Amino acid sequence: MAPILRTEHLTHIYGKGTPFETAALNDIDYTVEKGELIGIIGHTGSGKSTFIQHLNGILKPTSGKVLLDGEDINASAESLKRARSRVGLVFQYPEYQLFEETVEKDISFGPGNMGLSEEEIKERVLEAADFVEIGESLLSKSPFELSGGQKRRAAIAGVIAMRPEVLVLDEPTAGLDPAGRKRLIGNILRYHEETGAAVIMISHSMDEIAESVRRVTALKNGSIVMDGTPREVFSQAEKLKKLGLSVPQVTKIAIYLREMGLPADTSVYTMSQAADAIASLKGGGSGA
Amino acid sequence: MLKDITLGQYFPGNTVAHRLDPRTKLILTIIYIVALFLAKNWFSYLLVLLSAAACFIITRVSFRAILRTMKPIVVIIVITAILNMFLTKGEPIFSFWVFSVSREGLKVALFMAMRLILLITFTFLLTFTTSPIALMDGLETLLAPLKKIKLPVHELAMMMGIALRFIPTLIEETQKIMNAQKARGADFDTGNIVKRAKAMLPLLVPLFVSAFRRADELAVAMECRCYHGDKGRTRMKVLKMEARDFFALALGAALLVCVVILGRYGL
Repeated sequence: MAPILRTEHLTHIYGKGTPFETAALNDIDYTVEKGELIGIIGHTGSGKSTFIQHLNGILKPTSGKVLLDGEDINASAESLKRARSRVGLVFQYPEYQLFEETVEKDISFGPGNMGLSEEEIKERVLEAADFVEIGESLLSKSPFELSGGQKRRAAIAGVIAMRPEVLVLDEPTAGLDPAGRKRLIGNILRYHEETGAAVIMISHSMDEIAESVRRVTALKNGSIVMDGTPREVFSQAEKLKKLGLSVPQVTKIAIYLREMGLPADTSVYTMSQAADAIASLKGGGSGA
Repeated sequence: MLKDITLGQYFPGNTVAHRLDPRTKLILTIIYIVALFLAKNWFSYLLVLLSAAACFIITRVSFRAILRTMKPIVVIIVITAILNMFLTKGEPIFSFWVFSVSREGLKVALFMAMRLILLITFTFLLTFTTSPIALMDGLETLLAPLKKIKLPVHELAMMMGIALRFIPTLIEETQKIMNAQKARGADFDTGNIVKRAKAMLPLLVPLFVSAFRRADELAVAMECRCYHGDKGRTRMKVLKMEARDFFALALGAALLVCVVILGRYGL
């Protein structure tokens, strides 16, 4: 795989030169490969949101660079504009950015700003709406008439309609009910699979991260402290605990089982793996 | 850029100015404004300038914060000064074409600019050193006599308090929405005035929606805690005038008297 997005010595200091000066990001070197599926975890205030807001130039690095295909995104106004459409950023509670009269118009805001033709915009709106399961009947409604979950999905469609090669989401499922969460994660994964776009998402739910991503990065005090496959990261339960994080519920169950003296595999992190591990425990007694 | 707005911001501190009774500070502010408008000559201006400087030193508000409050009104000050400079009749110092600048014009322009600057910065001192809640209580107790003529004093004070409280929240909200729209390719900084005004729409609509949502939530939260307006409401912290308050008020009165006397004798 080829790298698409890279940060080099990325440092961000809030309130430089004031008594409130704090380093939010500390010399971060990070590479995102094309088509990767990454989960970013970290305690509140660890710098996750600050980090992702650098990826499309919403925040400017205090020092260091953000490179998209090797080009510094903050080099010029044009490169910044390109980066904004190639790296789609979905903020926390994106439904509060909806503003147009109809859902369709709102979704077309992004592609419209890219200067695309009418037909192209229309096509992209329908495609994006399809990804997030917003039906035709909803497209002509006012975004303010939608339910909470629908609003959230419509807002995400507004970013997807720009067909970003890297889709970055800051806690996309915060405040949704379990069904809404599952549905939204499914939508995001479908976008990832069908377009081959890289997806980076922040989440506080270890279960959600474990079930969906293939790489987990943990931040603490503005530095990357863990980076690897879910198996590598979630097998270090003690270290995660020190970071103020935890392991997925199913991993916890495996750890409890082991503490009870059963030879359970504690490197499981998804529901199906855990099911297999427990089944083999049961079977283990009969020698299977 | 939005971070620079300091309108109505409270800077917590523990100076004498912070500890003064909010009523004292409100009255002092009014006294100061009156003195400012009564000042007519060099000496009285010097006096109001020095007393403002003394207040700034006492409150320990950073010089930069004061400068930032000036930013939005610089244009108004400059225009006022220029108009006064050219339109005041008197002994001309220099002139070209139809414009002439007189000694009196220069003086009036300078005084006018100083008056505006002091007016704004001094009133900002009030919100710099007084928390919105204290300010609200102070205003309400000061205006309490007006309840007799059925003026909704409590409601007015509450509205002002809520407005002040929400300024930073709304600024933060604006920044968030702005970033979200920028991420969708919105451009707030370039183009002519019509284009820029249009670009504000994706910012203003969500901002209004969220302001109404917040208002609704706040109303519910207040009702949940049995807020029912003024009737039968008691306070946890009852305002009490201390020796320092009377001392401060005496100083304020002295300033006013001095300015009046200086004006009277044209010194």
